[in-house]
This record gives sequence, structure tokens and C-alpha cells, in this order.
Amino acid sequence: MPKCTINGQEVEVKEGSTIMQAFYQLDQGIAHYCYHPGLSVAGVCRLCVVDIEGNPRPQIACNTVVTEGMKVSNQSEKIKDGVKWILDFHLINHPLDCPICDQAGECGLQEQYMEYGKYNSEMAEPKVKKHKVVDLGPTVVLDSERCILCSRCVRFTDEVSKTNELGLFNRGDKTEIGTFEGKELNNKYSLNTVDICPVGALTSKDFRFRQRVWYLKNSETVCTGCSTGCNVKVYYNKEGAFRVKPVFNENVNGHWMCDEGRDIYKFVNIEHRQTLAHKMIGGQKSEMPAGQAATEAFQVVKSTPSEKLAVVLTGQYTNEEYEAVLKNFKTKNVFHWKNLENSMNDFDGLLIRGDKNPNTKGLEAAMKAAGIHTNWNDLEKSLSSGAITTVVVAGPENLAVYPDFADKVKLMAQAENVIWMTACHSEQFKAFNQSAFVIPTKSYLEKAGTFTNHAGLNQSFKKATTIVSHALTLSEASFLLTGQSIPIAVAPQAAAFVDVDRRADQVMIENRKKNEFVFKRGSL
Amino acid sequence: MSEVKYLTEFYHLNEFQGLEGYKKNGGYVEAAKALKMKPEEIIDEVKKSGLRGRGGAGFSTGMKWGFLPKNNEPRYLLCNADEGEPGTFKDRLMMERAPHQLIEGMIISAFAINSKKSYIYIRGEYDYPIACVRKAIEEAYAAGYLGKNIFGSGFDHDMDVYVGAGAYICGEETGMISSLEGLKGQPKLKPPFPAVQGYLRKPTIVNNVETLAAVKYIIRDGAQGYKKYGTEKSTGTKLFSVSGNVMKPGNFEVPLGYPLKDLIELAGGMKPGRKLKAVIPGGSSAPVLNAEEAMKATMDYENLASLGTMLGSGAVIVIDDSQCMVDMLGTLTHFYHHESCGQCTPCREGTGWLDKIVHSILEGRGRLQDIDLLIKVADNMKGRTICALSDAAALPVLSFVSKFREEFEFFVREGRSQVKGTNYAQMHH
Repeated sequence: MPKCTINGQEVEVKEGSTIMQAFYQLDQGIAHYCYHPGLSVAGVCRLCVVDIEGNPRPQIACNTVVTEGMKVSNQSEKIKDGVKWILDFHLINHPLDCPICDQAGECGLQEQYMEYGKYNSEMAEPKVKKHKVVDLGPTVVLDSERCILCSRCVRFTDEVSKTNELGLFNRGDKTEIGTFEGKELNNKYSLNTVDICPVGALTSKDFRFRQRVWYLKNSETVCTGCSTGCNVKVYYNKEGAFRVKPVFNENVNGHWMCDEGRDIYKFVNIEHRQTLAHKMIGGQKSEMPAGQAATEAFQVVKSTPSEKLAVVLTGQYTNEEYEAVLKNFKTKNVFHWKNLENSMNDFDGLLIRGDKNPNTKGLEAAMKAAGIHTNWNDLEKSLSSGAITTVVVAGPENLAVYPDFADKVKLMAQAENVIWMTACHSEQFKAFNQSAFVIPTKSYLEKAGTFTNHAGLNQSFKKATTIVSHALTLSEASFLLTGQSIPIAVAPQAAAFVDVDRRADQVMIENRKKNEFVFKRGSL
Repeated sequence: MSEVKYLTEFYHLNEFQGLEGYKKNGGYVEAAKALKMKPEEIIDEVKKSGLRGRGGAGFSTGMKWGFLPKNNEPRYLLCNADEGEPGTFKDRLMMERAPHQLIEGMIISAFAINSKKSYIYIRGEYDYPIACVRKAIEEAYAAGYLGKNIFGSGFDHDMDVYVGAGAYICGEETGMISSLEGLKGQPKLKPPFPAVQGYLRKPTIVNNVETLAAVKYIIRDGAQGYKKYGTEKSTGTKLFSVSGNVMKPGNFEVPLGYPLKDLIELAGGMKPGRKLKAVIPGGSSAPVLNAEEAMKATMDYENLASLGTMLGSGAVIVIDDSQCMVDMLGTLTHFYHHESCGQCTPCREGTGWLDKIVHSILEGRGRLQDIDLLIKVADNMKGRTICALSDAAALPVLSFVSKFREEFEFFVREGRSQVKGTNYAQMHH
């Protein structure tokens, strides 16, 4: 464990660490673009230059291994001036089109220029023209002029996705990123290249031009796309969620996430959601708030003998919710609805798993703890024989990963009474023609809880926002369905990203201070 | 003083090119001798001889060999015959006139570092030298000097020619290794150095043609015999490619420490009526010397370093008073702009910027502050990149502008050359 001194501050680092890692460890500022902790060292941006005592030439921090007693500094005027100039070299051929650039607001060039920039550029010559709006593949668009050639994306496709679609072409200041002939950037992890791009060169087709990033808030949560449980950040505002980005977690996903997982923001937006509860009695359909529907549905549950009641659960809810459901219903007729059973144990070697539920492990554990061992076939038999007359279903949130959804809705429709809880609306609910309730539930963004991932790791996440204000969590619904009363906090629909435990007027004032523009945008 | 024909002793004989003629004039005697020695003895001898790399950097060859890890990992010997430095044409002569001399030097060197495989990386434009070396390797294989059990010593060695595609950057040793591996010719980050992890991530030694050829003579005459030539720290002889405004341009072998003034005389002197204005002593990357400095310079590593320039690859470009320095710098900046590999930002952007500034001046759009800007940009490119190309581009700019500033100022003010009196378009049409 060698010790070194960074700008006068002593630090002990792991054997073989670089100076850059020592800077990270101390949380000291150092300019850099090409270095990324998840990739190999390229050493091409030349920004992380430091002085090392006893070394006549400045060295780059990303490729210099710390040795015992090393004294490193990046505070001398010479180094600071050098960094300014190298940043200027980065910018002389950059188009500086920030107003129309999607990266503006979260751009490495903007951020580092604010801190280390030279400000008075002396470039008076015409800039190099390169390709713009290059279609790299189904997910990513390239603007070569903005590119600073840090080669992070090239190294990513080489080292992480191992698909090698990207390369550096031409020489000198005509160098450009591109795909090899006959190839397109089309792999399951392609959008990571957009995340690691420090500038606006690579942009996501899904997100580009949809929001300026300063209108977005973010909240850390756990990806519900599969049982890996990647740690992610969901970006949202009052118009809904807009994108998902990975958050570093050494034990789960490292720095990356898959492209599939980036779609998990889509089904939580209002257009896909069940906003009000539906009650159907003998073909008559009426709409009502969720709480009221659950209270009315209690009458159905109450009138069913307990052996004729079945509860169906999917692996898309939190451990806390499973616990509440199993405790409240007190029935042993609890069934686990498994989707994609054949590919359940698939794994692509990096992150993507075949089990497309975030919490299958949690559900299995909860059922085991409650001593429930049931077989799905029994449910099918009991439904067709009429041994079960009422089913309470906690349906999936993400319908896209349930190819058997329509079949299962038809199967449940055989029961006399169906109480279906779901976050997302589906046309399939038309199959219910007798006594049925469809009760909206909250999506993962709107509640706090815990998921257990494939490896049995419990990951808690907190609530980000409210999108459907009348929705219930599964716990709340189970209390109401079993005749207990609970205080339901209802947030006003208009102020979507407001924490419900604060006074509405106070929130309004705070938001106005924070982000005046969001509220005035319509009138500008 | 005249030339010392040491390496080039038999270069005037056409037969020296083929195996028969080469053997008649003392060929492959040293290889047979060396293969009976211990590898450490050869390395020691080379160390003692003070032989320094002839490709440009002038690093001690014996010391370089000593950096190899002491294990049995396969290792490679690469001969750098990319010779891309503008003004240099000595390796070409050596490969054309005496390919066997190089092969013999390489067999000895490969035995010394225990390498079973070597490559000669020749630049793509060198059609004739490629043919010569290929033919010589064939002859050497046929005679049993390459392949299995050379000279009955139990030492096996294979040699191959690899033809480059003409990129200047592939003359940089790690750039050359990338190119040899089939990658884009870009220098690699150091450390690890090639001696530890080079070609195919195995320990690799890269030496210039002239360096490897000289090993034969160190074995022949011993370290002491080799040190007879040259100065104390710059030992041996060196081939200098003299070009530019001299009467008789060509390659001249002289001992290191030879006065530059005499070297110009060897090359026939200046053209009648012309005066010496400047000399680039070590290939286009070396800072230029003005006439006064050139007169007192001697051609060895130390003296030239003390004058702020370098011996480089030994390409002496002589410039007389009919040349416009701004125009010359325009040619150089264009070259480096074209040849920068584009990896490191200061070099990628800086070479282009320098080129554009110089051409702005040449085309009459220059501003007086551009002259200072050239110095600032070049200053900030220096020593900031993976390889030395950035320095190579910056150093000529710094020396041209500081030593011939009045020419640049005249060009900016008048829009025409002080020397030629014409503008850029007139100069070139």
C-alpha cells in the first residue's frame, strides 16, 4: 500500500493505483476526458498532467503508477497554464454550438472549461469541417465536429461490449469516429457510449431534442428490466420520465447498463397508465378513484369463502408489498405467475438476464417464508372447475416482458370475480365481462421499497415522483381489500414531482425559486 | 579531412550486394564468431562500445538491450527501416548496397538478445531496397545463415520483411509495433516500454538499420576498436545524408564529432555565389542552426545538444541565402499536419493550427500577433504527447521563428517574401 502526497495531502492507495485514482480517492479536482474508470487507459486527452517531484517533465496522472513517497501536484502555474492550453486545443475545432446541442448542461467541455478554461481563445483560422448527423445505428447519432476524440466509445465497444463496431478513421485533425464498413453500432449496450461521451458527439436517438437537461430532475432507483437489478438514475419532470442512466455500483452493474433497461421509463408515463379504477358489473362499466374501488371490492372478497379465493402475484413488486399481501389475505392459495419460463436462467455474460422481473427472488422468498407451495396448474384447474371463484391479481407493470399477458387475462376472466391490480392500462381488460375491478397501482418510480436481485442482494430504493396520483401501492390495496382502513396520501396531480409530505404552498414557492422557467415555459 | 569508409567500405562494389561478393569481402565472419560467444558478452561489448541509436533519439543500444526482462519469454527484434524523416536517405543506401551487412548485424543482435524472430519494417515507397533485402534474406536462408541451427550453434532465427504503408508516424517505435500488429499506425502509451511489452505484448527491441549494421563491426574490431572513431561520448562513425543547396548532395560516412563546416565541404560546398544561411542538422524535426552556429557545430550528440538542436537521423539540410524561411516552414508545418496520427489532442489540433497560421502568413492574411502565437502554440505542444511527433512539429517552428523573425515580420507586413521578393502564389507557379 504505497503512500503518496497529492497537493500536500497524504493518501494511501492500493498497490498499482495510478495518480488519477489517488486524485479520485481524495476527491480532488483534475481535468480529464479520455480517462474512464471502467475502461483501459488511452492517455490521449493530455489534460491530467501533473508535476511529480524529481521528474523534469510533467506526466499524465492516468498512466503513472503511484510509488512510495511520490509527491504530486497540479497546482503550479506551469501546469495550470498547460491545462488551459490543452483545453484550448480541444476547442479550436469544436463548433461551439451549445445552444442547439443536446449535451449542453451536462457537457464535459462546458464543465471543465468553466473551471480550467483559457477563456480568450486565439484561434483565428477556419475550423475543420467534419461529418454531422451521422447515423451510427438504431440507437445513436454522431456529430463528428463536436467529438474531441477521447476514444472512450471505441474502447467501450472493444473492451466491454466486445462488438468492435467503432473505430478511429483518418489521421491528424481529420480523425473521426465511425463504424467499420458494413457494420452499424447495434449491440445491446450501445447507449453506454452516449453516457461516456464527454461531449455532445454521441447522442441517443430516443432522448435527443426531447428535453433540455436542466429541466430534468433525477432520482436513483433500481432498474426493473431484469433480475440483475442495475442501479440507475431516472430523469423526470412534471411531464413524465425521459431517460434512464446507469449509476456505478461495483457489486451489481459496474458503470454500465443495457439498452433494454433504458426503456423502463416508458411504461410509467401517464399515457400508458391506468389512471382511474374501473368497475364492471354485468357489462356495466363505471370509473372511480382507486381507494373507493378497493373499498367496494372488499365486499366481493368478504363474500367469497376463503378456500375459493386465490391471489396471483408477479415478480414486479417490492418485498414490502409481498409481505403485506401475504399477511393481509391470510390465504394459502397464492400463486406465482412466471413469465418467459423457458429463458428464466439465461445470462448474456455481462448484465442482461432472462428473468425479466426485478424481484422474482423476493417473491419466492416471501412465499417460502409464509409456507406457501403452490403449483400454477392447480390454479388453472381450479378456475375451470369453478373451485376458485374470486382471483386477486397483482399484474405486471411492464407488459412488454409478459408475452402471455393476453392469455392470462382470458384465463382469469373465467373466475366469477376478478380484482386486477395494475399500473399500466391494457386493451386486454375488455375480456372482463362479469364482475371485475381494475385498480391502478403505483409504479416503481412512485414508491419506496426493496428488490432482491438474482444474487439475493437486497437493494432499497426511494420514491422519485408521482405520476398517477390516485394509484395505490400493493400494500395499501391489500389493506383496503381486506377491510382495513389506512390513511392514503394523495398528491395533487398538477405538481408531479412534489414530495407529498410537504405543504403544497411551500412546495410551490420552493419550486418557483429553483426553476422559475419550468413554470413559465408555456407563456414564453 | 575526408570521409572514413568504415561501414561503407565496400559500397562501391556492385558484388557487395549479393551473398558471394559480400562473403568475399569479409561477410558472415563475425556472425560465425559471435554465435560462439555468450550472448551476455555481446551485450557487454556493445555497451562498452558506446554505440548509440542511429535512428534519431541517440539512446545507448547496449542499455536498451539490457532492459529486456531476464526470462525465457519469446522476444522480437525489429529493424526500423521506415526512414520517414524528411532529408534522410542513409538506410536506403545501406539496404540497397549491403543488405547482407544488415542481416548479419541482425543475426548477431538477435543472438545477443535471444530472439527467434525478427522483422525488417521497410517503408512502402522503398521498392528497390525491399527487393534487395528480400533477395538477400532468401540467399541467407539458402546458405543456412538463417533458419534452424545457424552455424551449428543450435541457435534458430527467422527473419522477414514487413512493408509499411508510408506513414511517418510508423517510424516511431511503438507506432511501428502497432502497424506491424496490423493496427492503425499509432504510438502506444508508455510505460510499458517495448523492451518489456512490445510486439504482440512480448518483449521487443527496435533498432535502426545503421545501428544493427554497426553491431557487426563492434564484434569485428571489439569495443575498443570501434571507439577509435568519434568522440568520447559519441563513438563510431555515422552516415550523414547531406541535401539541400550543396553542389554534391549524398550520403557521407564520417566519424561523429566531425565539423559541420567540413561536412558541407565534403558535399561539394555551397553553390557558386551563394552564402550559407542555415542548416537543419538532424532531419526536419531538429531545430535549425543559423550560419554562425553551423560554422562552429560539430556533428556529435553533445555538441549539437549544446546548440539547442539534435543529431537526429543525420539528415543535414543545407539552406543558402536564396531560400525563404517562411516558405520552408510552411512546407514543414504542412508535413507534420499531414502526418500527425491524431491521437493526442495537442498534436492533432496543434499541428493543424500551426500549419494554418503559417499559411495565413504566406497567403498574405497574416497578422503580427500571429508570429507570437506560433511560438505560444508550439511551446504548448512541446513535451505534452505520447510520442515525439508533437515536439518534432513544434521545434522547427520555434527555431525558425526565433532565429529568422525579421523574415516573418517582413512577410506579414508586405505580403511577400523578403528573400525572393514575390508572394506565395508567384513563388510556387
